[in-house]
Amino acid sequence: MALRELKVCLLGDTGVGKSSIVWRFVEDSFDPNINPTIGASFMTKTVQYQNELHKFLIWDTAGQERFRALAPMYYRGSAAAIIVYDITKEESFQTLKNWVKELRQHGPPNIVVAIAGNKCDLSDAREVTEKDAKDYADSIHAIFVETSAKNAININEVFIEISQRIPAVDSGRRGREGFQTAPAAVGDPPHLLLMTTPRVSPETTRRPSNIQPE
Amino acid sequence: MDPFDSTETLGYDKSEKGAENIATRLPWARFSSWLECVCVVTFDLELGQAIELVYPHDVKLTEKEKTSICYLSFPDSYSGCLGDTQFSFRVRQSVGQKGSWFREEDAYNRDAPGTLQREQAHYYGYVYFRQVKDGSVKRGYFQKSLVLVSRLPYVNLFQSLLKLIAPEYFEKLEPCLEAVCNEIDQWPAPAPGQTLNLPVMGVVMQVRIPSKHDKPGGSPLKQTQKENLLPAPLVLSTVHELDLFKCFQSVLIHIQMLWELMLLGEPLVVMAPSPTVSSETVLALVSSISPLRYCCDHRPYFTIHDSEFKEYTSKTQAPPNVILGVTNPFFIKTFQHWPHVLRLGEPKMSGDLPKQVKVKKLAKLKSLDTKPGVYTAYKTFLHKDKALIKRLLKGIQRKRPSEVQSAILRRHLLELTQSFIIPLERYLASLMPLQKSVTPWKTPPQIRPFSQEEFMATLDHAGPQLTSVLKGDWIGLYRRFFRSPNFDGWYRLRQREMTQKLECLHLEVICEADLLEWIKDKSEVEIVDLVLKLREKLMKARRQQLPLKDDVLEKLERYIQTVIGSLPEDLQAVLRRH
Repeated sequence: MALRELKVCLLGDTGVGKSSIVWRFVEDSFDPNINPTIGASFMTKTVQYQNELHKFLIWDTAGQERFRALAPMYYRGSAAAIIVYDITKEESFQTLKNWVKELRQHGPPNIVVAIAGNKCDLSDAREVTEKDAKDYADSIHAIFVETSAKNAININEVFIEISQRIPAVDSGRRGREGFQTAPAAVGDPPHLLLMTTPRVSPETTRRPSNIQPE
Repeated sequence: MDPFDSTETLGYDKSEKGAENIATRLPWARFSSWLECVCVVTFDLELGQAIELVYPHDVKLTEKEKTSICYLSFPDSYSGCLGDTQFSFRVRQSVGQKGSWFREEDAYNRDAPGTLQREQAHYYGYVYFRQVKDGSVKRGYFQKSLVLVSRLPYVNLFQSLLKLIAPEYFEKLEPCLEAVCNEIDQWPAPAPGQTLNLPVMGVVMQVRIPSKHDKPGGSPLKQTQKENLLPAPLVLSTVHELDLFKCFQSVLIHIQMLWELMLLGEPLVVMAPSPTVSSETVLALVSSISPLRYCCDHRPYFTIHDSEFKEYTSKTQAPPNVILGVTNPFFIKTFQHWPHVLRLGEPKMSGDLPKQVKVKKLAKLKSLDTKPGVYTAYKTFLHKDKALIKRLLKGIQRKRPSEVQSAILRRHLLELTQSFIIPLERYLASLMPLQKSVTPWKTPPQIRPFSQEEFMATLDHAGPQLTSVLKGDWIGLYRRFFRSPNFDGWYRLRQREMTQKLECLHLEVICEADLLEWIKDKSEVEIVDLVLKLREKLMKARRQQLPLKDDVLEKLERYIQTVIGSLPEDLQAVLRRH
């Protein structure tokens, strides 16, 4: 089975839960008292996607302002960026928009952008509506999900959707625009269709239209 | 297997393994298995060279060490070094400074090749110096060095790392350094024989740490072609090797002489036009006798500010057995009394070939504008290998790539060193007691002492002529070698290994012996004595991390418990308490 290494970076304001998302994805654990990241943390996880193994090389960057200027080193050469905001902090959503701008200007040309509205378990304190975020994501053709690293909601989905959007190796067989021409669901390995993690709302379960829901 | 095993999991299914708790790890524990610290040295108008920043902040360097690092991190006369310059130095650790927390018996040193041991009393400094015009600074120039301080002789790895991080640092300053140090603190510790992924600043460097069990001269790491479309890792072919051909290009015809001078640990000064040339040449020379360890002090870049300057340049004593790399022309006078001085010029081509320096009389070493050359009265013991030189020179004409030329040169030097050392190894092995003479009930027999004459007598039938075509006075070379620090270092190392091997054999036969049968007719005193002796052996074996078969120590532990169990209860209580 072919192995592909995919560099993925996480960007976003400090405290939105970037490291928690990575820990949930890689180790399936959650620590409410996680320390702020200094510089960046690096982790890997290999998953099967169709007939390929995707090894995610994950660069979890620091959200603190003093590390802001270092970001280009981490998104340079990235296949995908997960930009995270906190649904309970309007400000973090504004920061996200700045990241999108920066990526458009200085990031790799074909970078897949995923937007993760984290802490969706705290809907009582919500400041960013799902619709606003979703509309924004659609306007920039980004993947969008609301996630909860704490309750393990939609974490794997982010990475699965990234896998789907990464241009295939054999470009003759599949299109380069991952979203529109994503491979047919019938060919999908069972694990993609049997995800059991709960989802917050039907909205976030929406997949590219040609993938059948389970 | 990915060495990032703690952070590597497979598949979307929930992993059973709990998270490795980074919080319980000592801060900087992983960082310190690679680096002591990272320093930024700057030029301060009032203070001169000064350390601007040290990372981690709590690292303990003495004032003397700091001063040395400051001076050695700038080129001696930096007018000629506009732009970026990379070089390396080595300093002695201050007396009384706490030793590294890595003991001599640490697992790394046990499995690493002799030439790549972690330094016990010295630090290497790997420098990236930048000097550019800058109107905003009073002196008109921006002058700063980023320095990695380490006990590991990994020149290629650390210089490659600097190439990645230094330009970013000069632009983004302290947060960048903070990030890099934290990333290095996530690296797996250097483990001989393993290929490691070292993530830093968005790049994954991949490098294999050599092991002492590697086949000498074996090709280090075959790149398996895999479908690595996006970020191909930055693969370094070696942690420590330099481009030998580039380093030796103007002295190719003297390679035999230089190898002998290194083998014998002769006092040698390399005068070079820049710290880069000086440090690379010294490190290349030191590596030329690999796998033999060069046991003398070596300073890839040495200046008058060095704390050993007086000691090493004293005219009242014979020059010490060291190799020093210098750039300051002032040193020509200082080292006039040294037996061997290699003066290198700017690398020049004469036609297709790099200009070769000539051997010159020491008396000619006078004026500051002394010409490039090997200033020595030394006559080689062995004849030079003309075929090798022809091959290399032909390679230049045919534009053979430098890496290939280096590989040819390295192989030649390796074979030469092996030819020299194999007879010694063979003789040394004959000094080991026979395996059958190791019995459980007696201390193992002694290793016989090394006798030079006895060794010389073996040369007729088992000398270097078996593996080398080089003619000359091999016997004379061995005699001279016996007086050198390199022989001493080699012999001590081998002796320690042999003693440990003997200890292992002893522990293994003890484990196979029927202890309970033996103690049947022994008095309590003898049995208690046995228990104490076995315990001591066990502790020593653990401390020295003896290369024992897996279950030997556990077996021994169980034996001790069984033997204790055979004693009366009051004695049992006493023995269990201690």
